[in-house]
Amino acid sequence: MSASGAQPAAVALGVFLVGSAITAIAATVVAVERVMESRHPGPRLAPVARPVAAREPIRAEAQVFRTTPGMLAIEPTARRERSAHPRTLRAVRFLRAFPGAPPVIPHPLSAEEFRTVACKTCHERGGYSERFAAYVPLTPHPERGICLQCHLGVDSVIGVAGTEADPNARCPMCHGPSGGPARREASPTWATTGWPKLPRLALDRDPPPIPHDLRFRENCLTCHAGPAAALEIRTRHPERANCRQCHLVLEAGAETYARPPSRGPAGRSVAP
Amino acid sequence: MEPLDRRTFLRKLGLLSATTAASAAVPGAVMPLGGVLPRAGAGPVWKKAPCRLCGVGCGLLVGVENGRAVAVKGDPDSPVNQGLACAKGYYSAQILAGRDRITRALVRREGRLVEVPLREALDLVAFRLGETVRQHGKDSVAIYGSAQWTVPDAYLAAKLFKGALGTNNVETSARLAAGSAVAGLRSSFGLDGAIGCSEDLDHADVFVLWDANLAETDPVLFSRILDRKRANPAVRILDLATRTSRTSYAADHSLLHAPHAGLAIANAICHEIVARKWVHREFVRRHVAFKRGATGFGDGRGDRALVEEEAAEVGWGDLVAFLADYDPERVQELSGLPAASIRWLASLYGDPLRKVVTLWGPELNQDVRGTWTNNALYNIHLLVGKIAAPGNGAFGLTGQLGGGGTVASAGAACDALPGGLVRRDADRRRAAAIWGVPAANLSPEPGRPALGMFDRFTRGEIRFLWVMAANPMMSLPDLDRYRGRASRADRFLVVSEAYPTPTTDVADVVLPAALWFEREGVYASAERRVQHVERLSTPPGEATSDAWQLIEVARRLGFGSLFPYEAGRQVEQIWEEYRHFHSDPRDALPSLADLRAHGGLLWPYVAGRETRWRYNTAYDPAASRAYGEYDFYGHEDHRAWIWLRPYEPAAEAPDEAYPFWLTTGTVLEHWGTGSLTQRVPALHRALPRGYVEINREDARELGIRHRQRVRLASRRGAVEAEVRIDYRSQPPRGVVFVPTFDEGLPINRLTLDAACPLSGQPDGAKCAIRITALPEAGGP
Repeated sequence: MSASGAQPAAVALGVFLVGSAITAIAATVVAVERVMESRHPGPRLAPVARPVAAREPIRAEAQVFRTTPGMLAIEPTARRERSAHPRTLRAVRFLRAFPGAPPVIPHPLSAEEFRTVACKTCHERGGYSERFAAYVPLTPHPERGICLQCHLGVDSVIGVAGTEADPNARCPMCHGPSGGPARREASPTWATTGWPKLPRLALDRDPPPIPHDLRFRENCLTCHAGPAAALEIRTRHPERANCRQCHLVLEAGAETYARPPSRGPAGRSVAP
Repeated sequence: MEPLDRRTFLRKLGLLSATTAASAAVPGAVMPLGGVLPRAGAGPVWKKAPCRLCGVGCGLLVGVENGRAVAVKGDPDSPVNQGLACAKGYYSAQILAGRDRITRALVRREGRLVEVPLREALDLVAFRLGETVRQHGKDSVAIYGSAQWTVPDAYLAAKLFKGALGTNNVETSARLAAGSAVAGLRSSFGLDGAIGCSEDLDHADVFVLWDANLAETDPVLFSRILDRKRANPAVRILDLATRTSRTSYAADHSLLHAPHAGLAIANAICHEIVARKWVHREFVRRHVAFKRGATGFGDGRGDRALVEEEAAEVGWGDLVAFLADYDPERVQELSGLPAASIRWLASLYGDPLRKVVTLWGPELNQDVRGTWTNNALYNIHLLVGKIAAPGNGAFGLTGQLGGGGTVASAGAACDALPGGLVRRDADRRRAAAIWGVPAANLSPEPGRPALGMFDRFTRGEIRFLWVMAANPMMSLPDLDRYRGRASRADRFLVVSEAYPTPTTDVADVVLPAALWFEREGVYASAERRVQHVERLSTPPGEATSDAWQLIEVARRLGFGSLFPYEAGRQVEQIWEEYRHFHSDPRDALPSLADLRAHGGLLWPYVAGRETRWRYNTAYDPAASRAYGEYDFYGHEDHRAWIWLRPYEPAAEAPDEAYPFWLTTGTVLEHWGTGSLTQRVPALHRALPRGYVEINREDARELGIRHRQRVRLASRRGAVEAEVRIDYRSQPPRGVVFVPTFDEGLPINRLTLDAACPLSGQPDGAKCAIRITALPEAGGP
């Protein structure tokens, strides 16, 4: 009885002791923390706002890095050409009315393709096309959706039945009726500026500068690498990721360097 | 010789005429001024030379024909760039051939600079130097050189001014670019000179690019990082910066933070590493000591004496208590970098399976607490034991080739002697013995770091100043203060330069300087790589090397016996003399014969072996295995030091009157103050003028349009320039970026002359400004 009576008291005492010990430890911890804090007063300054990156990247800077040969179906070492229609700079220019113009579409489109704007099926990643027996050129701006907004087809071969069966249906697009010399994608009286010329390089090994503007053509590899690139402008080193490390864009209208007016002692504008 | 029958002869003849026809069809080497060189048939002879136009030190091959440089390509045998170069490197040979090259000595007479024979100009320089010392004492003369100096140039400047004249007034532009990088290495590891080397980039899994727009400032290193990423797609590139730049776009992750926050972020990363128990305990126990230094010593203005560090030993518990202030949430408030990003960064450093390389640029060093920030970055790597091993490293990049301690190693700093410090008796005695001067000649009292030296010049305490290969009247912060007072009647300013600059504009004597491969020399880059360059082409007119000018003036002052170098063997003799200062295996240098034979060698160079990873016993012959895997022999306790460095506020931060942060920096096309690269037509045409980049939203609020002219003003000065929006980089709101290369946009008129008191490096790349739109020109 007495034993059983003493037990709850002992339990209560134990609980009390443990409780007070916990309280004491907690109080010590809080006190020590305060002391520590006062010994190391942290920097208390006005908060700095989080810097927010711009929503739209600078395409000319960003795109260079966004597509690599690995992402495209470009074999850096591919040397295969089609024998009949080598894609030369002349052929590339033929499809453009003036430097920088969006090229016209030099092949037939089925009505289905025309309606659904299925261009990117082939032109986003490239590769070999059985249908045209050629490597597919790449678009430098696959993120833009409505290709036909700028790239014109030729009405006569859009939706023409049997185009797929007849690969020759596209010949008249470039060749005259006699099969002779090609007609230009321009009106007969149209005169345009010359194609960009590389400035004369001062030294043998100088990397050529970029002679055209970069708008919609920010990704260099799409036009300058792979088996579909024009022969004359194909880079020999598509594996280099940062093209603009060596190839500079020329600023329009920049003349030879001339120093600003001298600030020598005679003509100094700054008061001593 | 094999006999030639008629058929072979004809075939060879045909082949010969075919090659001749081909070489006629291919446009040959065209001179910058338009003339085509006659082809010597065999083509150019390719000679190696280091590139001078940033801190990387790429090996180039320069094609030489008829005594002129006609072509440049990357040296495939160079371990740094492995055959690659950047635009500056490719075009670098044309720097020699600008139209307005200084080819004759100029002396100011009746306010105008007139041409005189070089001998006369040197006589005048020697006379004024000697007279000034005689009348005003040895500390009234000074020399301000450059991290573009070759090692022999820097060494001779130290020998003439410290050894012969007895003043420690020897400084270089390296103080502006890398002062804190050197001081950081000295305080954390006891010695300057990088720990790893560029080969780290081939082994790392994570690259943290900290305030370094590597794609523009060090493009060849950046290409090497991208190569590493291509070889191993699991590699992660992090760009931690104050604006979105080309580097951010190429990186896997772009993290933006406010300027001056580097130290707080580094401490927060350490906090997280400790809190999550990612510390490499064995490494820390064996190789690390903890130190606390003095705090609150101001912003380096006033008398500008370098503060000498006093280290108090502390323990692990002190570190933990110290880091308690830097929990990521709190640092988010200081830095604007989200706490989650800080934790993620810490987890990458803490992951034992990933090798991490941190690279930081001059922006981080250019801070009123630059030395502390360098220490804090080393702290991260030391806590997780990721340092001094392949793929694990921390590396402060310098903007200039000789910036990373090289020039200081040769004694060209106000507190340094070749291979030592002026304060140390043993170093002074050694210098006196090698130079053959009385030990009393060498002053134990350090001079003043760069800005302090120019303060003394503006006050008239220094009356003779010789500037070599530097453009301080463009590059000093708070420029107007110095520029206005540089040309008073009782001061004498000598400038050795290749092109007219704002500094030559105010000079009393201008000496024509030979540029880097017009003279023999030895360069040493930030990663401890030493490279020899032959004289490959003839300097124009009377241009000569800086070393030659120093020797000629020394001889005129009667110190001929101290400078007995023979013409033709000068560089070899100077180098072999300089090597006496580096006889210890901890900083031993290769001989000139070894340098001639190799594309570049990393010191310490012991018994024909270079040291790629310092302090690592597997690679460094000076490291003793008695201390385990690593031996941080720079400190006497053979440990690397973790410093407890608190965050202190910026020297100047935006407020209501000046609400924007101005940050300044480098672009790909130009280098330094543009005095060399602007003379290359291709580089100039690519980026002819400086510009102001501001955030699109800020511009909208201020009513500023792309290409509109604005006025930028700080408490010190103002400039006008054209705004570009979303041009190359995108500063976040409240931040403005201006490049430093354009003489027509002297942005340093705005910047701040505060400096890190430990390193003397100015906080010269950021300050508070306001922007005002100017009325648009062109209207009726």
